[in-house]
Amino acid sequence: MLDELLAPKYLGWLIGGFGVTLLLSALVSVAASVLGLGLCLARVAHSPLWSWPARAWLSVFRNTPLLVQLFFWYFGASALMPENLLIWLNTPHEWDLKLFGVRWPSFEYLAGFFGLTLYTAAFIAEEFRSGVRGVPAGQVAAAQALGFTPLQVWLNVVMPQAFRISLPPLLGQYMNAVKNSSLTMAIGLAELSYASRQVETETFKTFQAFGIATTLYIATIIVIELAGQWLQRRKPAPGASH
Amino acid sequence: MKKLRLATLVALSLLSGLAQADRLDDIKKNGVLRVAAFDSNPPFGFIDPQTRQIAGLDVDYARELADRLGVKLELVPTNPANRIPLLAANKVDIVLANFTITEERAKQVNFSIPYFASGQQFIVRKGTLASPDQLGKLRIGVDKGTTNEIVLREKYPTATLVAYDDTPFAFTALRNGNVQAITQDGPKLVGLLANVPDREKYEIPPFSISDDLIGAGLPKGETRLTEFVNNSLRELEASGRAQAIYDTWFGPDSRTPLARIFRIGDK
Repeated sequence: MLDELLAPKYLGWLIGGFGVTLLLSALVSVAASVLGLGLCLARVAHSPLWSWPARAWLSVFRNTPLLVQLFFWYFGASALMPENLLIWLNTPHEWDLKLFGVRWPSFEYLAGFFGLTLYTAAFIAEEFRSGVRGVPAGQVAAAQALGFTPLQVWLNVVMPQAFRISLPPLLGQYMNAVKNSSLTMAIGLAELSYASRQVETETFKTFQAFGIATTLYIATIIVIELAGQWLQRRKPAPGASH
Repeated sequence: MKKLRLATLVALSLLSGLAQADRLDDIKKNGVLRVAAFDSNPPFGFIDPQTRQIAGLDVDYARELADRLGVKLELVPTNPANRIPLLAANKVDIVLANFTITEERAKQVNFSIPYFASGQQFIVRKGTLASPDQLGKLRIGVDKGTTNEIVLREKYPTATLVAYDDTPFAFTALRNGNVQAITQDGPKLVGLLANVPDREKYEIPPFSISDDLIGAGLPKGETRLTEFVNNSLRELEASGRAQAIYDTWFGPDSRTPLARIFRIGDK
């Protein structure tokens, strides 16, 4: 059983799927971090004009299943789009930029990226917020007493510390993004889980197909974990023992 | 031990001696043709809610065979797993239950010539797909884990395949324009299309890229009975009766219209 390895063609499918998983989770992590920071700032703003929409966003995206959200963006939202836009999104487009060609991603990729980013951003925003709240109020008051402008207080006092406090939970969210990306197989995105299921269907080598996929996921999570430990050693969170 | 083995051998030879009696003669003598049919696989074999009897395309063929023999028809409901055991245990004379002809099964039962072909076909928006050559350029929705996916990838490697959890999901993707075609067995596709409100926008182009041939299952070694069924099927095609049976279930006026690609005697 174990000595029957997969043919190179099928290993190629798995590696291709793994590539899609890595790129998708990386893009989602970056986009969701930017969006999450904005959401966090809106959420802690004093004006209800900012904080209430942010509250609504957080509650909608944190309290509904990701799978349903993905179905909504792929099947639901596309039913509302103008037909021409949809046709354009579903036809392959390529641009030759001298050095390398750029290919417009498939609609499955776009819907998966969009859905995962909005979902992950809601969680990242809350991690940032707990980081902001972890900065003692006395420091803000002290900075203001020293004549810092509100922007300076944020940029020089609150943010640097908030980032370091929220780093460990943030890495947890990036790991979640990697794992959650597997749900996009339901909307037909050919990432790692989709590829392993496809290999299993064609080869009936169930153990190998899902075993390799599991190993690749674990390896990714371990790399994120190690990166996190390394970052924390370099910049320990305030209050952590030196 | 040796004695027991000898006794078994004697018993077996006696049994096989009994089995050699010709089944066709037995049917005529008993005045009953026993046919196994599905009771929950429309339109091949299902319980008609009005008459509470088993009806369907397979049943129509069974009735024709019984009429030709001039005997009474006795239908025995079956499921896929019971088809071969029913024949082997002499509980039925013929199995007419959407029985796909395979080499593996042909080792255990006799098959008639095929009377139906269930092919892998496509649903597309009207007028967008005329011939199989175009498939290589399309985005096609398939059901996860089906042989349809494998066959399509082998025959049209340049087509973009998107796999969904089941056929209704794939159809939603087609309606939304995420894929330009979806594929499944023809009879399944017409069944799906029958329940779609805007079905006039879609069509099933009259070609298939693979065929599962459906034949009558008969007891192993019953050559005369097999010959009788084969000849009857050819005559039914020649007389137009086979077309009429097809039209009852898949004709243009039926609930599930599907162009007839396969005719008895084609393969």
